[in-house]
Amino acid sequence: MQIKFSKAAFFLLPVGIPLTLFWIIPNLFSLGISFTDWDFMTNGFHFVGLDNYFNLFTQSSFKQALLNTLYFGFGTVIPTIVLGLGFALFFRKNFKGSAIYKLMIFSPWVTPTVAVSIVWSLLYEPKLGVINTVLGLVGIPGLDWLKSSETAMLAVIIVTVWKLVGWTMIFYIGALEKVPESLYEAASIDGANAWQKFRNVTLPMVSPTTFFLIVVNTIVSLQAYDQIKILTQGGPSGSTRTLLYLFFQQAFEQFDMGSATAIAFIILIITILLSFINKKIGDKWVNY
Amino acid sequence: MSNHKKTPIIIKHLFLAISSILFVFPFIWMVLSSFKTSSEVLQGGFWPKEFHWGNYQEVLGVIPFHTYIFNSFYTSLIITIYVLISSALFAYMLAFYKFKGKEFTFGVVMATYMIPGAVSYVPVYVMLAKMGMLNTHFGYIISLSVSVFGIFYFRQAFLKVGHEIVEAAKIDGASDWKILWKIVFPMTRSSFVTLGLVTFVENYNNYIWPALVLKDNDKKLITNGVADFFINSSLGRDWSHIMVASTIATVPLLLVFLVLQKWFLSGVSDSGIKG
Repeated sequence: MQIKFSKAAFFLLPVGIPLTLFWIIPNLFSLGISFTDWDFMTNGFHFVGLDNYFNLFTQSSFKQALLNTLYFGFGTVIPTIVLGLGFALFFRKNFKGSAIYKLMIFSPWVTPTVAVSIVWSLLYEPKLGVINTVLGLVGIPGLDWLKSSETAMLAVIIVTVWKLVGWTMIFYIGALEKVPESLYEAASIDGANAWQKFRNVTLPMVSPTTFFLIVVNTIVSLQAYDQIKILTQGGPSGSTRTLLYLFFQQAFEQFDMGSATAIAFIILIITILLSFINKKIGDKWVNY
Repeated sequence: MSNHKKTPIIIKHLFLAISSILFVFPFIWMVLSSFKTSSEVLQGGFWPKEFHWGNYQEVLGVIPFHTYIFNSFYTSLIITIYVLISSALFAYMLAFYKFKGKEFTFGVVMATYMIPGAVSYVPVYVMLAKMGMLNTHFGYIISLSVSVFGIFYFRQAFLKVGHEIVEAAKIDGASDWKILWKIVFPMTRSSFVTLGLVTFVENYNNYIWPALVLKDNDKKLITNGVADFFINSSLGRDWSHIMVASTIATVPLLLVFLVLQKWFLSGVSDSGIKG
């Protein structure tokens, strides 16, 4: 159906006005700031061209944050997808008790990241924490977790995966329910074993969901802040400082707005790049 | 059932039971620790020797967490209601009408979804400051009143309703407003519930943006209250009191989730993605 914009305006403006005011204009404004050396205080802007962007690539803290972001991103997305699908496979058909298991695995997603990260920081305590106590019981020496630059990122990743697995699993359960039973029957007749059925029926049939979940979880992981703030504040010695964390430090601790917004746009470029790569690879393995 | 079929089922249940307990273990530990004395928390025992309900009184006596919870609930609720209505209106136009600039409008919405929220924080912060709306719930609420995800989600749901029904109603003389709320809404009710829950949870759990714009003590949200309580205690942590704060922040949402679980667990994934 055709409609004139003026008639559609009543339906479009309740989103359109705040979208313009709080998303579109600010983002364009940010892009502008990233070419200046604005510090929040001074009036007027001093144009510095691409200096902020070039300067970033000479700073070791930026390079470290970039690597940390990639480590954190892959370290979070891959286990989340694998575990999410793994658990979902159990729940393809409902059985007695399945609802309770799903409920428990999903529950972390509902809770505030800051509050549960505080609980995890107690669990991670090297001397008194439960995790090291349990490891000790089975004869594994405890780790320093958040206190060591070797293990801090791993600890942050564990918390993030813990929060995301249930959400991912629910999407996979929805996808698995839609796989026609006849495909499995046909595979059985052809003499396929469980692994072959998974490899040749399940994986291809859920590939659009996998693609979607990789994109969404990547965006979520690039935007992770709360758990890092609570667990490590980016430390020890910058080992858990991601690009987004660096952005906040530059913007609201250093008041270096130019450099901060430049970082934000680099995050955006990475997001677009990863989505694009994923799409390109996806064209090969996703069955639409 | 023969024996060799029973064993895998037992193993399956055992595996799932252990895994699910691991997932909720942090909550169990949190609640149990909140009833212990501080030194008892650090001794690492599982069950509290005695339940110290007084911990809750002590914490609530110092920090007004009940105010923070109220702030979080009501701001999230207003945001959720506005997001539901405005996204539905917008998605209705995208799903059922053609108009000049539609492709462009949808393109802009798509692009915005990719941009990290952080990109706009600085200008929006400055804008709220200039409008005198820093430290007000109103400023906070309007700055979060768009959900790009919501627009996508409703558009997918509405497309499934199909053009024919809308066009038939149109011929019968129904207005778009009526069609949306009397025909489309009843057919997509579960999408509304799901998006409502997701939006509410996300806003209730929001931390960094409210930390920047709501600084006054009586304006704070629960996430900021808990985080500040934790960060300010970095010298000499009273873990039992900190666990009380975390419990206060977490348990209300877990209860909401328990009551409405079927909507979370069935609706979330049903967003129209194939496969």
